[in-house]
Amino acid sequence: MNSVYPNPSTWWGSFTFNDRQILRWKIGPLTIFVRYLSKEWQITYERLEEFGDSESTWCVDQVDSIPEEFGNTSRYIFGKASNVLTVTPILADRPVISRPRSPFNLALGEETTLYVSTPLWVELAVGDSKIKLDEIAMQRPSDTWFGPSTREGELCYASSTYCRLGLEELPQRYHRAITPVLIRNQANSALSVERLNVPAPHLPLYTTPSGQLWTPKIVLTREEDGEMAALRIEKNPPEEARDGMEVRKPRKVSSEGVLIRAFNAMFN
Amino acid sequence: MNELWGNVLEFVTSDKVWSVSRAIILIIIGLITAKLVSSTAKRLIGKKIDVHRAMLLKRGSYYLILFLFLISALHELGFNLNVLLGAAGIFTVAIGFASQTSASNLISGLFLVFERPFTVGDVIRVGTTTGEVLSIDPLSVKLRTFDNLFVRIPNESLIKSEVTTLTRFPIRRIDIMVGVAYKEDLKKVRTILESVATKNPLCLEEPKSQYIFQGFGESSLDIQFSVWTKRENYLELKNSIHEQIKNAFDEHKIEIPFPHRTLYAGSITEAFPIKQT
Repeated sequence: MNSVYPNPSTWWGSFTFNDRQILRWKIGPLTIFVRYLSKEWQITYERLEEFGDSESTWCVDQVDSIPEEFGNTSRYIFGKASNVLTVTPILADRPVISRPRSPFNLALGEETTLYVSTPLWVELAVGDSKIKLDEIAMQRPSDTWFGPSTREGELCYASSTYCRLGLEELPQRYHRAITPVLIRNQANSALSVERLNVPAPHLPLYTTPSGQLWTPKIVLTREEDGEMAALRIEKNPPEEARDGMEVRKPRKVSSEGVLIRAFNAMFN
Repeated sequence: MNELWGNVLEFVTSDKVWSVSRAIILIIIGLITAKLVSSTAKRLIGKKIDVHRAMLLKRGSYYLILFLFLISALHELGFNLNVLLGAAGIFTVAIGFASQTSASNLISGLFLVFERPFTVGDVIRVGTTTGEVLSIDPLSVKLRTFDNLFVRIPNESLIKSEVTTLTRFPIRRIDIMVGVAYKEDLKKVRTILESVATKNPLCLEEPKSQYIFQGFGESSLDIQFSVWTKRENYLELKNSIHEQIKNAFDEHKIEIPFPHRTLYAGSITEAFPIKQT
């Protein structure tokens, strides 16, 4: 883990380029090359399909050339391009569905916290006005459908990892963010949790000094028997990242603090 | 001169001129009212209904109001409305017989607009034609096929035949028919197919993929493997998953058989002499 530009402890931030300079980001399974020419930005990336958690490291360095076998290249032409590139981690643009290793029941009157690991994207923008060039997924998550039938529902991403009951079970990964989800069952019957829907587009991102990314805690309260649950997104960083700094605001701002959702839309 | 002036004055003050003036004024008021009412109706209700119904509402209210004012104007001119309506009835029947097809299409068009099996922009399949709906008109529906042809389908045939709307629901299922050799282990085949579906990001995790054993075929064990995808990714997944299944079968040495033919030339002949050079 090392970095020379501009903050040695993180892979995100604003990077100033010289003409014809190429920087390389290696974050977990993703490798990005960015080349700056006076009127043009070029972005090339490649993603590993098979990737182990133990390999979740990152580095940013300067290279001389872009390997030819890297296929995904996009070019962005400007009248006069700013030489400052802002790299930011960002959460998914759709909700993320995560499962516990095996479904469990939450007894009446009980509460528990689950830790959900969600995939991250890298957002690349240039200039002071942060003109967005591209958004690249660190790992392309599978699509999934979340709804009562094949006619109604919403398209989501499926998390490739399980949600855990203990934080120590969750490995530290630089290419994923962690969301604590507190589930309260205040109804008169047990609650079966098979799948969990994390509203990723509504969550901001915080970082700990070690570079692990967190989202605020989500509180889900089931107050009556039935389909309804109150969902609340806390305004501060979670206890596990108490001194966390905000890295990215949410993609969508929810008008109310509490979102009421049909229960089916949260658990299934 | 005085006599002429007197005649003009007499003509202007006569009942006939008054009737004509009143009729003209009625038509002008009718035009303005029809325009105002139809535009207001479209503005008030138009946002809640789709484009075609809004257009129908606007035109319908416009012509209805204009028709009522026209009838009043004719009444002012001294026409006997009973005779006129009777004549119109006979005329309508005659026109109806003469333009039976067009009338049928027109009525079918109305039913299509109210039933709304598809809207502009949807992709539909009628018989062997598949295309994007460009417009739904009173007499016909216009399609653009994917090889960029303009197809006009009469509304009557749309009402009579089976129409499939491909873009109604957000997700679709792809049924993959695959045959494996009789010697293969079906449990292993199933595991491989499921892992191919899991690895393909376009393939939805939920609804789960389905494995259906279709039967003992002529030269293979026939399997249907169904996967779900987002509607827009249908073709991309169809292409990629077939390739991935073939690659996975090759990797695990699972044979996809093709029909074998054994040539038999009758009992009295010897086997075909085959010589390798």
